[in-house]
Amino acid sequence: MTQVAREHTEPTEMSDAEALWYSGSWIDRIPQPIAILTLGALMLGTWWLVVQIGYVSRILLPGPAETWDELMDITGNILTGGHVGEALWITTQETILGFLSAAVLGIFLGVVVGETRIGQKAVMPYLVAFNALPKVAFAPVFVAWFGFGINSKIVMALFIAFFPVIVSTAAGLWAVDTDTLMLFKSMEAGRWQTLRKLKLPSALPYIFAGLKAAAVFAVVGAVVGEYLGGGKGMGELIRLASQTLRIDRVFAMIFYLGVLGLLLFGAVALAEKKLLFWQKSDTFDIQGGV
Amino acid sequence: MAQQIESVGRSGQQSRPVGDVDEVVKITNLSKTFHRRGLTALEGVDLTLRHGTFTSVIGPSGCGKSTLLKIMAGLIPRSSGEILLNGMPVTGPRQDIGIMFQQPTLLPWRTSLDNVLLPIEVKSGSAAAREQSDKAMQLLELVGLKGFEEVRPFELSGGMAQRVAICRMLVTGPSILLLDEPFGALDELTREYMNFELQRICLERDATTFMVTHAIPEAVFMADQVVVMSARPGRIVMIVDVDLPRPRSLDVMTTPEFATLVRSVRRSLDMGDLGADE
Repeated sequence: MTQVAREHTEPTEMSDAEALWYSGSWIDRIPQPIAILTLGALMLGTWWLVVQIGYVSRILLPGPAETWDELMDITGNILTGGHVGEALWITTQETILGFLSAAVLGIFLGVVVGETRIGQKAVMPYLVAFNALPKVAFAPVFVAWFGFGINSKIVMALFIAFFPVIVSTAAGLWAVDTDTLMLFKSMEAGRWQTLRKLKLPSALPYIFAGLKAAAVFAVVGAVVGEYLGGGKGMGELIRLASQTLRIDRVFAMIFYLGVLGLLLFGAVALAEKKLLFWQKSDTFDIQGGV
Repeated sequence: MAQQIESVGRSGQQSRPVGDVDEVVKITNLSKTFHRRGLTALEGVDLTLRHGTFTSVIGPSGCGKSTLLKIMAGLIPRSSGEILLNGMPVTGPRQDIGIMFQQPTLLPWRTSLDNVLLPIEVKSGSAAAREQSDKAMQLLELVGLKGFEEVRPFELSGGMAQRVAICRMLVTGPSILLLDEPFGALDELTREYMNFELQRICLERDATTFMVTHAIPEAVFMADQVVVMSARPGRIVMIVDVDLPRPRSLDVMTTPEFATLVRSVRRSLDMGDLGADE
């Protein structure tokens, strides 16, 4: 079936995975950008229609046009350094600092867990248990401990973001090839040498999968911290806007939070591409968008 | 220790053993029991590897041939018995032991050259490794990889990657080469060619080699002695001496002498199997 498809209707070279998905139907012949744009237009159209026929109240769900106007207003405000711009800058700082500390602490703890017997036996179960807790619920605690300022939000971002980094780092260290470990043992490599020259580099794809998840989680942590602990960031503005039922404004600000998350995610993905030049597969690119 | 440095210093030449001139490896009454599983992997193994000879080890899976190789490499401890390498007991990994696995186990972020230099870098640091890069280049040339020094593993074919692994094994000038099914993951044609190449390299360097395999013709083609093992417990059933002249071309496989040897290895394997089933 796929053989036939490959030979007759699809002359270009396909990977096995692509060939498995290939059904020969018209959907396969649409270029991806057009498919994306078409679906986007369909969704926008549905949105517009639902609002237009009055199926839901405009107060609860503003139409695409109002949202676009508000988005332009917000954009102007951000570009001229207005209060939204300031809020976005604060949230950006919280997110980036939270992400960076989650990366450092996560990789460090991941190495401790992945490299030591005690880490594997005793620390890991605690981490798994902690990871199962609803971490958002800790936000008031952090506000009590670190105040209403930026610090409590950084800690919240760190707290939400660093679990995937720990787990993926440890998993990456455990996934190292047994024969290569034997080889290092046969070369009388010490523990530090084995870690630095073999385990950490081969764990990098795993670590980056964790970092990509952390990039998205850091935004969540910062915004949740702002919802529950005041401060001056986007979370606070969104809370205020929704209290006055300015849903269009909420949407516009969420858009910019999305941009923030995407940019951070993109930066991590770019660093991964630069650092993992030796990795030809893109198995790990799919994960992370949790 | 002094001996190890000497063997490194002689740029790949075999260092002569101290005691009995000819015996590079002497294994006496070696046994290995995995206590946790209550499994006797090896029992009463006696084996001598003479300088410049090639030994193939063959046996059913679970006969402990890979375990034997890893004990010889000092990677896992023995339960009882003795292994002497160059007259000194093997108690752990040593620089005068070269090892190679079924997978090339190259580091994908390193070039061929840096992969070959890895053992030196681990032992004596990056500066020492850089000093030895000429030697590594020569080795890459020896295995036919001149011009591939700066290429990374994902750009190499399976056979080429294994040739880089051969160079990495040779770079410290070990006295014994331990090969664990080195070409088992390659396709048949590449495998034949690699065996042929390995023979050439071993002859050229007068190497003492110990190779685990599960292909009878390969075992006979490569070896001066074929060690046949049986499973549960792993022990040596028979040692078949192969006195076909060297260098051997692939044509040797069609000779009646070769067929006779293959038959006697096959018979020993069957004998071992029956023994295990009782």
